[in-house]
Amino acid sequence: MTTAKASAELVSRSRGSKAFRRLRENSPFLVMLFPAVVIVFLFNYLPIYGVLIAFHKDFVPGDSILNPVGGWVGLQNFKNFFEDVQFWPLMRNTFLLCIIGFVVGFPLPIIVSLMLNATRGRRTAKILQTIFNGPHFISLVVLIGMLNIFFGHYGLVNNIKESLGGERTQYFLQESAFRPMYILSSNWQDFGWSAIIYIAALSNVDPGQHEAAILDGASRFQRVIHVDLPAIMPMVSLMLIMSIGGLMGVGYEKAFLMQTDGNLGVSELISTYVYRKGILNDTNQSYATAIGLFNSIINVVLLIIANTTSKKFSNNSLW
Amino acid sequence: MATLTLKNIKKVYPNTERTTKKRKKKTDEPVKEKANLQITDEGVVAVQEFSLDIADREFIVLVGPSGCGKSTTLRMVAGLEEISDGELYIGDRLVNDVAPKDRDIAMVFQNYALYPHMSVYDNMAFSLKLQKVPKDEIRQKVEEAARILDITQYLDRKPKALSGGQRQRVAIGRAIVRSPQVLLMDEPLSNLDAKLRNQMRAEIIKLRQKINTTFIYVTHDQTEAMTLGDRIVIMKDGFIQQIGTPQEVFGHPNNLFVAGFIGTPQMNFFNDCQLTLEGGKYAVTVLGTSIPLTDEQQAKLKANNCKPGHVIVGVRPVHMRIDPNGFIGKIEVSEMMGSELHLHLSVGDSDIVAIIPTVGLNLSDYAIGKTIGFSFSPDLMHLFDPETTNNLI
Repeated sequence: MTTAKASAELVSRSRGSKAFRRLRENSPFLVMLFPAVVIVFLFNYLPIYGVLIAFHKDFVPGDSILNPVGGWVGLQNFKNFFEDVQFWPLMRNTFLLCIIGFVVGFPLPIIVSLMLNATRGRRTAKILQTIFNGPHFISLVVLIGMLNIFFGHYGLVNNIKESLGGERTQYFLQESAFRPMYILSSNWQDFGWSAIIYIAALSNVDPGQHEAAILDGASRFQRVIHVDLPAIMPMVSLMLIMSIGGLMGVGYEKAFLMQTDGNLGVSELISTYVYRKGILNDTNQSYATAIGLFNSIINVVLLIIANTTSKKFSNNSLW
Repeated sequence: MATLTLKNIKKVYPNTERTTKKRKKKTDEPVKEKANLQITDEGVVAVQEFSLDIADREFIVLVGPSGCGKSTTLRMVAGLEEISDGELYIGDRLVNDVAPKDRDIAMVFQNYALYPHMSVYDNMAFSLKLQKVPKDEIRQKVEEAARILDITQYLDRKPKALSGGQRQRVAIGRAIVRSPQVLLMDEPLSNLDAKLRNQMRAEIIKLRQKINTTFIYVTHDQTEAMTLGDRIVIMKDGFIQQIGTPQEVFGHPNNLFVAGFIGTPQMNFFNDCQLTLEGGKYAVTVLGTSIPLTDEQQAKLKANNCKPGHVIVGVRPVHMRIDPNGFIGKIEVSEMMGSELHLHLSVGDSDIVAIIPTVGLNLSDYAIGKTIGFSFSPDLMHLFDPETTNNLI
């Protein structure tokens, strides 16, 4: 009995010393990781506590989150949202904008990275890459200003149109122009930046594979299809999962800046509605939090579906 | 299968704008030697004056130290590098400007270069698919190649599920499935461990019997060169040092470099030797002892009009023999290799190696620190000119 106890104590002590040794070995990395952990905890995990507001009757800043003045209402705010006359238009607008943006925007950086990689001159490729990355650093407000310069009533497009005998069009007041302007400007701004990750993946392709393909008789295009594209497929899968996971997470800023009375029918998204309900007029923060939480749940579900599907079909997954 | 003719092939990697500017700032000298690279105004010269005729179905091995230009030469034959100057013929066709795919060659790469997302079958079938060969014919050819290389059971696997040796077989299979006129191999065994390398070397010898094609094989391993090649091309600093059969390059090395490069352990060199000529007869003084040369050696020295003076004497370790009346050397290291003993001896200023058979040998007589007598037969001796490094006999 005494021997068994002593042996168990020995095992537990050796485990403890092993864990301590590992901790000590990895201490420089853990120290480097510490600020990131603090930031993620402070700004991503701690605010989750605030979702309780979604179950308050009517939260007012300054109220206690755990002891609401108006009391708890359970899922009432969610029910109110589902019954809201804006529910289906908001879902449709958000979903369509995101889905079209995804379909147009997801393949674009892949195509650009493959083209840059296949460019003969390294110098030319570098120059092009720098040019493509530039727009990413333009602020959103400036971008909308540029859209106004190009597509505004007295903008460049209308000037050209008029000089060719056409009539000026109020693009910012037209529902049909909102999505193309939103999606194309977003893609113009970010396609170069998003391509960086694929360019990095392409730089790891063994040049021997290209040479083998050349000897096998593959053309430049065939090499892109049979050597480059398969090489970045794991990264494509990963980015696909992450994009689908954030599909409905479109921010309110750009849509809000582009919003006019004329295009409100298509430019009002879940995020702009949350902003309007939570911060702007007729404030109802509990209701706005419930809508935001609902949106996040959709994203989590999409992420899980995308991850499971990718794992099943391509063996690539986030977890 | 085809003959190959390389006429005065030269490869120059042009200077980039940046290196040209740097060079102009530093020096106006036209030619500069840096390590083993020759840098000229044109650029870095990797290969020059490379001329070789390769017979149909011949197995040629290009061998030399790193940076000697052997892989560059192979890549020029493949069409992966442009030929700066000279002519390359495959059969009767000048192929300098012919695209690699139209040269009817195949290549096995050092790191296999298999397509990781394709199965073994697809890897081997890829070139045939691009040529739009009918599916049945592709299957037949791939299965035949797989049978030859004994990889039939792996056809459905991806390369990452194979061992190094199996991957190399697939790489060879991918090359032979096209029945190329010339099969190029760029250090195909260098990624394998010693045991597997020996095994694959034997496989390549067998493969050669099975497929009728011309081989050009690049290696820095002289054992591979000696065992595989019909002829060996020994290169250094972009120049051919010697072309010959394994016996020729081993028995009659052209110069000091070839003598030192071919053979393991390398040839022993006695640096301070004198070639003397007395009464019309040449003799060489090694470690203070005058050794008369054979009639054949005399004739060669006379034909070359060699003048007496300083020479370097080379003797292979296997040609050393124990001789109590010979030179005296102190054993520094004694390596028991099983059937033979490698003795590292210090003799005067020279360190030499002698290989002696262990049959009937009392090993305690050859312990470290002991002294032994040794000699060598004059007809197995090589004389090198210290200035030109050329073999004099």
